Amino acid sequence: MTKRKFGFALPLALAAALILALGVSTGSARTQKKAAALKAAWMYVGPHNDNGWSQAHDKGRLYVQAQLGSKVETTYKELVPEGPQTTQVIESLIRDGNKIIFATSFGFQPAMVAAAKKYPDVKFEMATGTAQSANMAEYFGAGEDGIYLSGMAAGAATKKGVIGYVVPFPIPEIIRHANAFALGAQATHPGARIRLIWTNAWLDLGKEKKAAQSLVAAGADVLGQNVDSPATGQFAESKGVPWVGYDSDAHTFAPKQWLTASIYNWGPYYLRKVKALLNGTWKTNFYYGSLKDGMIGLAPYGPKVSAKTKAAIARKKQALINGKFYEFAGPLYDQKGKLRVPKGKRLTVKDLYAINWLVRGVIGSAKG
Amino acid sequence: MRIERRLQQPWWLAVVVPIASLVVAFVLSAVVLLLTGHPPIRSFHRLFDAAFIAHGALSETVVSATPLAFTGLAAAVAFRMNLFNIGGEGQLYGGAITGAIVALLMAGAPSPLVIAGMVAAGAVGGALLAAIPAVLRAFFSTNEIITSLMLNYVVGLVLEYLIFDSHSYLRDTSGFQASVFPQGKSLPSEATWSSWSVHSVALPLGFLLAIGVAVVVWVLYARTRFGFEVQVIADAPRAGRYAGMRTRRKILAVMCLSGAIAGIGGASQDGDFRHQLDPRGLRQANYGYTGIVVAALARYNPLAVVPVALLLGGLQNAGFALQGVDFPNGLVGVMQGLILFCVLGGELFVRYRVRFERGPRVTKSPAPEPTP
Repeated sequence: MTKRKFGFALPLALAAALILALGVSTGSARTQKKAAALKAAWMYVGPHNDNGWSQAHDKGRLYVQAQLGSKVETTYKELVPEGPQTTQVIESLIRDGNKIIFATSFGFQPAMVAAAKKYPDVKFEMATGTAQSANMAEYFGAGEDGIYLSGMAAGAATKKGVIGYVVPFPIPEIIRHANAFALGAQATHPGARIRLIWTNAWLDLGKEKKAAQSLVAAGADVLGQNVDSPATGQFAESKGVPWVGYDSDAHTFAPKQWLTASIYNWGPYYLRKVKALLNGTWKTNFYYGSLKDGMIGLAPYGPKVSAKTKAAIARKKQALINGKFYEFAGPLYDQKGKLRVPKGKRLTVKDLYAINWLVRGVIGSAKG
Repeated sequence: MRIERRLQQPWWLAVVVPIASLVVAFVLSAVVLLLTGHPPIRSFHRLFDAAFIAHGALSETVVSATPLAFTGLAAAVAFRMNLFNIGGEGQLYGGAITGAIVALLMAGAPSPLVIAGMVAAGAVGGALLAAIPAVLRAFFSTNEIITSLMLNYVVGLVLEYLIFDSHSYLRDTSGFQASVFPQGKSLPSEATWSSWSVHSVALPLGFLLAIGVAVVVWVLYARTRFGFEVQVIADAPRAGRYAGMRTRRKILAVMCLSGAIAGIGGASQDGDFRHQLDPRGLRQANYGYTGIVVAALARYNPLAVVPVALLLGGLQNAGFALQGVDFPNGLVGVMQGLILFCVLGGELFVRYRVRFERGPRVTKSPAPEPTP
């Protein structure tokens, strides 16, 4: 009845009015405070707290914010789909006044290239990409070096010599990572075999878990991954299978089975580039970080890694840093046993960016 | 309290109910926003600003709305006959594949010809895919919901196969860029669909086509014998059969029409926006499934599909503008969800009315206004 209805509506309207008044006041206060800061933005393909790839980048963003304080205002956009929507997100970031945009997934590249042409005054930074221009820089790191070391931990943990590796796309980036992982595992467990399952997605918790299940069913007694989420680790923990992560320290997902992971420390690079923009010295670059400059690192070890393994890994890490060792130096054989890199030769970064064959001992196809 | 069907729907309900629904959505969201410490008015202002008001926002909303208009129309056309074609997603992929093939084959021909070829190819691709569940339904009474849904996965995998797992005609295999990440061949410049600017709002050809299709479908359903027969078969299949209407033919025709519309949407993705066959982007977007929501919101009325697609496209865009450091993505989803829920829920009050009763006496009150 009418009376009852109004009795319900009136407090609601009052509450709404109160809320609005509150909202307006806090809203305007915030805009005034931060008016002078440089605006920098990050775009993620997954959630910012995926405990993997995107989270590593977000840690870098927080590092920039913490170091530069009120001089910079950072933000991010997460779960950004590829295609026209990427363009829309970039446009809205520029509309909001962002002067530098870091895109952290290869699929964003076409939209970034187009935006870089359209907005010469904005700086664009593209992780894992290949298209460099006057206002668009490229950056990545030699994740393969860290992955080689994490592979050594996996090799030391396997008893049957079969390691499962959950991988996203059959592209050179992942193929070189899988190769490095296999070579590392074979360094501590000669003849170890690496079984691959492709998920065809950077982040798909369901598929990742299913892949981990199939790998264990196929005889793997250690799991590794190159995908973004720790779903593999959760499954590994439940089955008591040692696990090597990727991108971020995710030991909390498998406290007993965690071995280690190759991690990215993007913060210093981000800080350098944002600072350069503040000082007016920003320049384009094709940056390839390494263990040496700290962009690549190894996450803290879990309880299952023995002191002996730790020492072996530390020695290899030192050798990688001072250039005495390189995992992609010949002789290297492919899956069929064919010699691909003869003794004395080594693969360059350019070769690695186009690698399309898997090393001996890897079970799976480089075509997916 | 009793809910009963309205015998007649006063004209003002169609205006008051959506507005009231938005107000309710606003109040509910405001509560959530306040509880999570966000300023509601500012959040709502940013939402609508990013969707419709800011400079260039409307152009971007149109970009998001175009595929939704096509898949919305595809769903509306079929659902009107109680044919539940859930396959808009796959039919859109199909149209994108055939559209891209034709664009590459016709490279060098005059642009209008290439574009016409792409539209036709997209329509054929989508229609052929829709014909599979249509034939199964018409001749073997198979449930088209299941078959069309399952086909989405099949076509989705084919789409991925074409670019990721094979050296197909559509895949770009030359150059450094293509060796780093598999991608479709860039379509020739003749295959770029035209776009017009009206008051700084960019209207892509695909969007105008969608409006054209909406009008054609409306005329077809409201003004022709075909449309009349479709309605009869939908509401009373047996009556239709007694009257000598050919049910099987109608099922085939309507499903193929539905698939063709979704297929043109796929070709529009190639020609208007992506300029290559883009399996990952298409599969992430879920245009086909969102199209079903569009059709439902539009109550299967083809003329209403386009504005609803604009609303949903705008909401989608605005979501990305709103999210960020101090505004979690999940909260954006809550706001979008509340708006959709209230607008859909408000529909109840257009078709039904609530009567309050106390004791044995039936109160005669005027039709109450909608409340949550």
